[in-house]
Amino acid sequence: MDIYSILFWFLSAMAVGSALGVILSRNPVNSVMFLILTFFAISGHYIIMNAQFLAVVNIIVYAGAIMVLFLFVIMLMNLNADVEPQKGMMIQLAGVISGGTLFLVILMGLTTAKSELIDTKSSDIGLISNLGKVLFTKFALPFEISSVLFLSAMIGAVVIGKKEHIPASEKAEIV
Amino acid sequence: MTAIIATTVFGIIMMFTGLFVDNKKTVSSIAAVLFVALLGINIMELSDATGPALRSMTLSLLGTADNTNGAFPQLLFNNMLRIDKMSMWFGTAMTACTALYILLIGKEFRKVGTHVAEYFALIFFILCGLYILTAYNSMLMLFIGIEIMSIPQYVLAGSDKRNLKSSEASLKYFLMGAFSTGILLMGITLLYGATRTFNVTEMVPMLHSESLNPLAISGIVFIMVALGFKVSAAPMHTWTPDVYDGTPTAFTAFMATIVKAGVFFAFLRLFHVSFGNISEHWLMILAIVTALTLLIGNVTAVYQQSVKRMLAYSSIAQAGFMLFSVLAVSSNIAWNGIILYGVAYSVATIGVFAVLVKMKDYTYDGFNGLAKKNPLLAFVTTIFLFSLAGIPLTGGFMAKYYVLLAVMHQGNMMWLVIFALLMAAISVYYYFRVIIAMYFKQGDPELTSEVTMGDQVLLIATTIIVILLGVMPHWFLMPA
Amino acid sequence: MLLLNIDAAFVIEKVILISVILMGSLGVAMYATWAERKVSAVMQDRIGPNRAGPFGLLQPLADGLKLFFKEEIIPDRSTQFIFILGPCLAMLTATMTSAVMPWGPDFTLGGRTVSLQVADINIGILFVFGVVSLGVYGVMLGGWASNNKFSLLSSIRAASQCISYELAMGISLIALLMMTGSLSMKDIVTQQHGFWNDGYFTWNFFKQPVGFIIFLTCSFAELSRAPFDLPECDSELNMGYHQEYSSMKLGFYLFAEYINMFISSAVISTLFFGGYNFPFMDQVQAAVPSGIFSLICVGALMAKIVGMILFFMFVRWTLPRFRYDQLMKLGWRSLIPLALINMLVTGGVILMTMKK
Repeated sequence: MDIYSILFWFLSAMAVGSALGVILSRNPVNSVMFLILTFFAISGHYIIMNAQFLAVVNIIVYAGAIMVLFLFVIMLMNLNADVEPQKGMMIQLAGVISGGTLFLVILMGLTTAKSELIDTKSSDIGLISNLGKVLFTKFALPFEISSVLFLSAMIGAVVIGKKEHIPASEKAEIV
Repeated sequence: MTAIIATTVFGIIMMFTGLFVDNKKTVSSIAAVLFVALLGINIMELSDATGPALRSMTLSLLGTADNTNGAFPQLLFNNMLRIDKMSMWFGTAMTACTALYILLIGKEFRKVGTHVAEYFALIFFILCGLYILTAYNSMLMLFIGIEIMSIPQYVLAGSDKRNLKSSEASLKYFLMGAFSTGILLMGITLLYGATRTFNVTEMVPMLHSESLNPLAISGIVFIMVALGFKVSAAPMHTWTPDVYDGTPTAFTAFMATIVKAGVFFAFLRLFHVSFGNISEHWLMILAIVTALTLLIGNVTAVYQQSVKRMLAYSSIAQAGFMLFSVLAVSSNIAWNGIILYGVAYSVATIGVFAVLVKMKDYTYDGFNGLAKKNPLLAFVTTIFLFSLAGIPLTGGFMAKYYVLLAVMHQGNMMWLVIFALLMAAISVYYYFRVIIAMYFKQGDPELTSEVTMGDQVLLIATTIIVILLGVMPHWFLMPA
Repeated sequence: MLLLNIDAAFVIEKVILISVILMGSLGVAMYATWAERKVSAVMQDRIGPNRAGPFGLLQPLADGLKLFFKEEIIPDRSTQFIFILGPCLAMLTATMTSAVMPWGPDFTLGGRTVSLQVADINIGILFVFGVVSLGVYGVMLGGWASNNKFSLLSSIRAASQCISYELAMGISLIALLMMTGSLSMKDIVTQQHGFWNDGYFTWNFFKQPVGFIIFLTCSFAELSRAPFDLPECDSELNMGYHQEYSSMKLGFYLFAEYINMFISSAVISTLFFGGYNFPFMDQVQAAVPSGIFSLICVGALMAKIVGMILFFMFVRWTLPRFRYDQLMKLGWRSLIPLALINMLVTGGVILMTMKK
């Protein structure tokens, strides 16, 4: 067992374990912290695959920004275990059965699947210079056109978030 | 490609219009002009692609020079887009439907909220997503296209902030939509693992029946579930009634029609081009999904009390029919079927919604006695509902005929066709309840706004299109 | 991955280096508290600490001792685990950044090249950003776990302030990175070799003055130091997020702040003021052995860092505190557009010079 497999198994166990922690823990703040741990484990996987840029961007964007906002909302909502609504027994059972079936079927399928392993030692695909080159040549269109996506998301934030400003001329109609 | 650029630019123009123009009427008029211009651009581009007849016709209309390049299908940006005649035809048809929608319903946006210009901008962006979905040649573009279509819809669903139901619809749609996007990405990842390419056409040789990688099958099923969610096919349909009901009616009309047709085109394209060779692995699953969609959509629609909610379930039922075109893997009619069905369904539904936004009460009782109060409105509604139910001489009949014919050509799924016909018969019941309410019941329906002369002309034009679709369907299909 | 081909000498070398850096940053932070008091005293025409040792030089030790012997209080209604985790996280993230800083040039010792940088990863700056973006967790979790409204408000302020200013900070750096063409701290420092070259200043400060100003402003906000010390603004929030903390846990928070100040001074010196480079370094290098030269370089960097820290302190005791809405307005409406314009102009200039 070389250092790669040791790291791989450690990170995988961490990722799966903390992902389970996200859904099993009662306190939402704990869930968020487990999720952050999951992101770290995934970033570790990226580093094993020599994709350092992806690893650190994963940390900056998800752990550093999105999860902070998550935490923000959860802190302000003052949720705790007592508030959590209880699901009916039947729904829980149905969830377990359908989820378990999906899990088993996919497990069966994937154990027989053949997949070529990535070469972790020599490839430098994940380095930032290569990533940049690929993004601006081969994947230029998806890269550029996702700006439309972000633009619409920004407009959405304005439309949803901004207070409705009602001009004086129309105020009379509403009241 | 010009259309994609144009719609993005128009969207940005609308954003700035919102900044500088205060009068909402002016905003609506600018938007209408831009949509018609977009349609013009689409037709221009199409005329480059299709036969000389249409080109000379358009050119003489526009008075421009002939600058055809003739090389179709175009592969653009390292095979990210594959623009062929079929995709351009569909894109143009959908743009025409959107222009019709804006002309009919666009002025109702003012009642929703204050950000009118932003609503128009979002609709332009949705069209951008639609064009990508008609022409994608890479799984990445499929994903981005679906996202560009979805995110503005989440916003539009929640745009009526004074209404709690609208916010609920937006949140519900967003959460479930994000979940289905996750499933789509998972499917794409698995498929990439099996084929080592994102390219829709390059992955075909990797997918053959003898030695099919289980990764690929699970990927295909995941993608099917995700796309099924977006078109509200049966087990994944649960969001549809609440979201369509809660969304402001003016936007439901768009979400239920053009967006849905666009995703269907992407669905068809992926499953015919990429997965067509291995159809025996997924055809049965999709057939069961289709049967469930038809059953749940039609039967539940019968029990609804609100016309808007009935239309939501009817859109599920219609999705069941559109799924037939995906099922008809080995048939060439399927492509024409989806175009015809998309146009016929969109035009008729937009028409019904154009009437619905004028009504104060959305229940069946709200339509009581409409024929007396406003005969024209009642008449056009009747024609639209005929089309939705699939009565001959209307577009809906020809559309259903085409998609069912495509499956019958294939020959192995007669049971499903018979089942679909049975379900179509059920659908007549709930569509006709509206007609009965309008013509045979007493009442005094209240309208929220006056039916202007322009409205009347447009509604009559829409009716004529619906009937033309039924009588001369080949006019709406791409010239061979 | 060369990182994992490990030999014993390498490990020893790195362990020594890490200990030295850690001790160094702790020492600097310790005396930064003393310097802060002295500077404020000088600026306000007071004497400042002068009881413990000559010029009050032992004052930090006395403070530390006091904190250690204070009673350890964990509030009854707090979330205990997170309450303890908060200061630990603050300290951890504060010390982590120093791993990618190049403290001096390589030198040879007994036939092997010794690097004065713990890890030269090719995403150095992004690593710094990653750690800085995590830094807010210590404050947020601690403030929330205290179960106190003042603490919660303060931690929310801290989080939103950090996230807002991180954007402008990142964009202002993009312009710099476009010119250097590398994210590695080592490369960036090497490019600023010396001070004057072929009629150009080599330091990035002269190439990116606007970027520097934006970066500096954002550093103030990220450090939550005056004029942006909203999270602990005592007139509104008592003591902010460390309201409920006592003993060394409070000490950790206070210490983490000063370590952060040290590290961000080091980052600013490295990115904009040439790191360990100094004028006429080539002549010095020719004159002395490589080990001594490395030490001189470290000295040069330290001098710059001390200068930056003093600047931070001058600003703190000069400018009044911003109001919260002014802070947000400055971040979103001034700095981000300015950084974007700076990026565009830089890109344009690079494109024009590349064409010829």
